[in-house]
Amino acid sequence: MEITVLQALLIGVVAAFTCIEGDFMGECKLREPLVTGFLVGLILGDPVKGTIIGGQLQLIWMGATGIGLSAQLDIGCGGTIGTAFAIMTGSGAEVAVALGLPVSILMQSLNVLKMTALSGLMHKADSLALKGDMKGMARLHWMGFVIDLLEYTIPVFICVYFGASAVEQLVNGLPQWVLNGLGAVSALLPALGFAMLLQILITPKLIPYFVLGFAIAAYTGLNMLCITLIAVAIALVMYQLLSKQQTTVQTVDDEEDL
Amino acid sequence: MAKNDIISAENNITVSDFKKTFWRSFTILGTYNYERMEALGFNYSIFPELEKIYKDDPEGLAQALARHMEVFNMTVAPSPFVMGIAIAMEEQYKRDPENFDVSSINAVKMSLMGPLSGIGDTFFWGIFRILAAAIGCSFASQGNLIAPFIFLILFNVPQFICRWYCLKIGYKNGNDFLVKMQQGGQMNLFTYCSGIVGVIAVACMIATQISLHCPLEFTISGTTIVLQEYIDQILPCLLPLTATLIVYYFLKKKTKVSHIMAGLIILGFICGVLGILG
Repeated sequence: MEITVLQALLIGVVAAFTCIEGDFMGECKLREPLVTGFLVGLILGDPVKGTIIGGQLQLIWMGATGIGLSAQLDIGCGGTIGTAFAIMTGSGAEVAVALGLPVSILMQSLNVLKMTALSGLMHKADSLALKGDMKGMARLHWMGFVIDLLEYTIPVFICVYFGASAVEQLVNGLPQWVLNGLGAVSALLPALGFAMLLQILITPKLIPYFVLGFAIAAYTGLNMLCITLIAVAIALVMYQLLSKQQTTVQTVDDEEDL
Repeated sequence: MAKNDIISAENNITVSDFKKTFWRSFTILGTYNYERMEALGFNYSIFPELEKIYKDDPEGLAQALARHMEVFNMTVAPSPFVMGIAIAMEEQYKRDPENFDVSSINAVKMSLMGPLSGIGDTFFWGIFRILAAAIGCSFASQGNLIAPFIFLILFNVPQFICRWYCLKIGYKNGNDFLVKMQQGGQMNLFTYCSGIVGVIAVACMIATQISLHCPLEFTISGTTIVLQEYIDQILPCLLPLTATLIVYYFLKKKTKVSHIMAGLIILGFICGVLGILG
């Protein structure tokens, strides 16, 4: 599929906004593959396909969050480029993962450089602060916006515009066994994401609920929304029960104090 | 101006200043760096109030600006809570510079970073993001273009509400609020009950969203045996569950995420080529 300069540029801007949303839009999650997939699809003229691939990528990278400094993958940019190439080459989520993964590692290293470089600017901010120069500090702050925009738009544009035909040849030349391998990788990777989520959420007291959720989903085939509603109901009941218990305990404590 | 628009009469801080801080708080990561992290973003967010508090005191303003250039880092969504507290403390300092220990402003900020980030991560990364993405993905798999919008709305509505009320509560009740929540055990209970929803949702997604299966087939004396059918009889979704729990085990052992990922890619690729996993 041919790609125009405008399309490549717009994809670059989408990639830039996966970073800007985090830096200047309060992590509103434009970076998630579900959203970038739709946008890239829209730019390339096939939003439905983009959304489907984005949804698959979303599941694969669900756990690749940007928590603290442990962020190791720039899923925003990787997802954008991966989906773009997957649509352009007429392939699926496996190709998006295979091409997006190296990009997301590369961009994360670039981000490490950026965050180191910005440390230097902080001394400039210090001296502005001592002069009470708010305007100067605000300008410095918004310089981050321009840096983000350039940092992403330029490399992604180059990569998408000039890399398209090379990637297309590469992907179309892949033998079936490689595709099988990539398919299994993209089936296995979500396990990492969900395990990381479990790590954030689970405590020993919550294990029974994990078993319950798994059993309902595995055996009944009820959909996600339905099971979530059941979970909300259980949580509300538990909240009522436990907060009653707590007040009783507290009253007992109070009486003992007397 | 309507009377109820005034938040702080002594410094003429109004709702519109708080709105500015609310919107500015979204840019807190803008100049994130290793040395001061979110400091400049935090500073920028409370400019409108600082400007009013130190209206006639350029020296005080400069010192306040320098003060808030100290390291600050936390999950972004509840950060306005700390901004609210910082504004309230700056006002207190302005009111009574003799008896107010100015270093306590940064001390309070530091002390809130950890606990609030913990709560914020659980709710926004652990719960809202998963639920929003799970529901979004189920629309996406049908090719429904509403998917990204559902996802963004489900995630961002709680985030907007959280930011605005965090700012107001932080300013009005500040530390008392957190202390009370912690003492009464309300916060723990709340986190625990939200954890129930989060854990059930993750368990459900492991079962429904990981497509890992075993494509092996044998033909023994004319009958084809599909291995996956036997696995399903033991426990449906056994492979996704096993894979997740194994990865979880390694995470618990503090294996580096990048190593686990490399392991999964290599293992997955080999098993895929051999036709064991698909």
